[in-house]
Amino acid sequence: MINLRLKIDPLPIDEPLIVRLQGPGLPARSHHDAVLAEVGPDRREYDLNGFSFGVYAGSDEVIDGDVLMMMPGETTAHRLIRAGSAHNTLLVTEQCDQLCVMCSQPPKKYHADLFEQFTVAASLAPHGAMIGVSGGEPLLHKERLFCMLEEVKARRPDVGFHILTNAQHFSRADLTRLQQLDHARVLWGVPLYSATPENHDRIVGKPGAFAKLEHGLSILMRAGASLELRTVVMQQNWQDLPALADYVSTRLSFLTVWAIMQLERIGYARMNWKETFRDTSRNFDQIARAVDIVTARGLKALLYNFPLCSVPPAYQDYAPSTISDWKRKYLDFCLNCRAKKTCGGFFQWYSHPEGFASLGPL
Amino acid sequence: MPVVPLKFRPHQDGHFLFADDAGGYFKSDQAFLRRYAHDRLTSGDLEFLKGNGHAYDAVGDLAYSGFEHRFAERLYLPREMDYVILVPTLRCNLACGYCQVSRVNEATRGFDWDDTTVEAVIGFLDSLSARKIKVEFQGGEPLLRLDVITRIRDFCRQRFDACEIVVCTNLQEVSDAAWHVLGGDGIFVSTSLDGNRITHEKQRTITPGKTDQFFSNLDLAVSRLGSEKVSALPTIDPHNAPSPQEVIETFLNYDIRSIYLRPINYQGFARKKFDARGSAELWNKYHASFIDALVEHNWSSEIPVEEYYFVHCLRRVLRSGHNGHVDLRNPNIVGHSYVVIDYDGKIYPTDEARMVTRVGQFDLSMGDVFSGISAETINRLNAEALNNFHPDCVHCPYQAFCGVDLVDDISRYGRIDMPKHMTDFCQRHTSIFDRIFAMIYSDDPKIKKTLALWAGTPHFDPLLAKVHR
Ligand code: SF4
Ligand code: SF4
Repeated sequence: MINLRLKIDPLPIDEPLIVRLQGPGLPARSHHDAVLAEVGPDRREYDLNGFSFGVYAGSDEVIDGDVLMMMPGETTAHRLIRAGSAHNTLLVTEQCDQLCVMCSQPPKKYHADLFEQFTVAASLAPHGAMIGVSGGEPLLHKERLFCMLEEVKARRPDVGFHILTNAQHFSRADLTRLQQLDHARVLWGVPLYSATPENHDRIVGKPGAFAKLEHGLSILMRAGASLELRTVVMQQNWQDLPALADYVSTRLSFLTVWAIMQLERIGYARMNWKETFRDTSRNFDQIARAVDIVTARGLKALLYNFPLCSVPPAYQDYAPSTISDWKRKYLDFCLNCRAKKTCGGFFQWYSHPEGFASLGPL
Repeated sequence: MPVVPLKFRPHQDGHFLFADDAGGYFKSDQAFLRRYAHDRLTSGDLEFLKGNGHAYDAVGDLAYSGFEHRFAERLYLPREMDYVILVPTLRCNLACGYCQVSRVNEATRGFDWDDTTVEAVIGFLDSLSARKIKVEFQGGEPLLRLDVITRIRDFCRQRFDACEIVVCTNLQEVSDAAWHVLGGDGIFVSTSLDGNRITHEKQRTITPGKTDQFFSNLDLAVSRLGSEKVSALPTIDPHNAPSPQEVIETFLNYDIRSIYLRPINYQGFARKKFDARGSAELWNKYHASFIDALVEHNWSSEIPVEEYYFVHCLRRVLRSGHNGHVDLRNPNIVGHSYVVIDYDGKIYPTDEARMVTRVGQFDLSMGDVFSGISAETINRLNAEALNNFHPDCVHCPYQAFCGVDLVDDISRYGRIDMPKHMTDFCQRHTSIFDRIFAMIYSDDPKIKKTLALWAGTPHFDPLLAKVHR
């Protein structure tokens, strides 16, 4: 498993500090750059503007170019950006106004605001990085979020963001700012579970959410924004998928991609697993129909988080490997599977006895 | 609840096909038509119309914006110029019956680019802002000017980030040097293969010796270059057409799975010789029988085959934004994203415009490579090249899928204001779209299988064939 935290010998700080770890022989390019001074077998010594600190990492672990956040008094640092990974996500808030039955990151009441630090971190990311922004609901802190996007765009136009939001909080007044973002580098990931308003509202635990979502989506469309529509497949919306595909093709043909997703067994999804998980390895029909409908309509559908062998052959091309590197695992039977390179496998917290019944190496 | 305007047309089963300006469609019956016409829609009607994207609650809501988006995506917007068709010579080593306009004999002088023209063409290419370019060599027989092809190729390779070069050749005489050029990176071959051997000989090669020569060169092209780099167009004379099965078989022999049937296009002089009017009906019949044959073929064969243009039209029915093909666009703005440069350096918006000018009907040229583009005439034509407000097309449920071809109208009728249904263009497209909807609403599993293949999906879902009662 990949570590998202690194043990450190901390610096005496009283505010969160962002540092980028420079590789061997590289000089500091900004005052956030820590220059590598010494490499031991399990500890590396860095120099940051004359102060030295240590980071514990095995000699085979690549941390060059990583951006860390150190918190006052903490002996581990958050690895906010791993330079070698395409899966870096900033968790900008844990507050949310929805309460989805399968939420993987159940909301908390209080918000610790680190937008300033995140802005610095994103500006230190490797060239062309695509950074995830997630929550909670990031748009609950809309002003802070927009400022971060705008600032990073001004400093680092090559850096992009993939922002997960429930789109409940866009208003017409946001149009101009939204329009000015770089649509090729900002992708909004927005969940929609059913075209039947009551079903969607029930799943997200918020009456009226569907209507607000429609409004938010129409604003994204007008702004010319790029949309990744996200639909987690569950028992609760299994019957709704073909009608949802139809809705998507009449209402949301501006989308960049429609992501049809399998469940991640963590948070509420783990609690509600029995009533929520739909074993699509046994019966794939409704997903097949949804993919058929939008594909014929010229839209792009993709299946996220599906082990390849759970997908019928005719639809395997729609299932890229999507589970983040640090959350991914494979099972025993994957060992002699010839699809292991293209298959995204399983979430770390997937439990096979309660999971897919009909899998096996390809 | 406001409902967007619906256009309708009797469907073959006695019901009606309805469609809106954004290309949303469904089938319903006479009773619904009456309710719609008399403004007595029921709540069930409205619920259906809203679900299918034809109605909305308020201007600006998601149903409304979704409609707007699909509508806008159906309009073709010319991109920057990134495609140039070059005619370095009119000379040709064949004398096909229907091609008198666009060729002269191999030995004739004065129908080639000279050095000044070549340099001017290069100057023209150099002036383009596109980073990628597609160059298509036509003729005459462009392989007679291999020198020009190599010169332009070398220039494009160093000037653009990427270039694709298509050589439209009759594959009659291919020298070793020519094979070498054709085998190069990013070079594609497009040729004519008129359905089967007999027809090809009758329409093109005339003598068995020349026919053999062509077919052996085609064999060579496919084996040396790979079938993915070779395309072949069959020109079909519906009066004298090879059977669809024979055509399919011939093309499959060369592993070509997409067949773009072209009706023989009598131009100018040739049009005087053969009667071109009223040929649409015969063509439509042949084309329909070809689709039948493909459906049969696809049902039993491992290797699916398509008719290129029909599939293009099908996808235009199903999707917005499918504007990639120059032959079917709305508005059909010409002279912007691509042009044709003739043997004398004159620039034309399309190949057909070149013919119209050559036979002296109208001057549709738009300047030349020496003094640059002057698009006044063409822009006046472009201003009319839109079917959205055409008095006939506004009533046609196929309007959103269809296009316009004013140059074709000029070439056939000498005018652009014919009643649409009397034009060859409209008759051919009405027939194609009738057929497409007959297929969409068919229960025949054979037809559904072919539809899925052509729509690019594993299965053709019933929600794509909605019926409202
Ligand atoms: S056996 Fe494992 S690696 Fe192979 S497709 Fe299934 S889940 Fe993926
Ligand atoms: S040209 Fe004919 S088929 Fe096309 S939209 Fe106009 S009336 Fe309809």
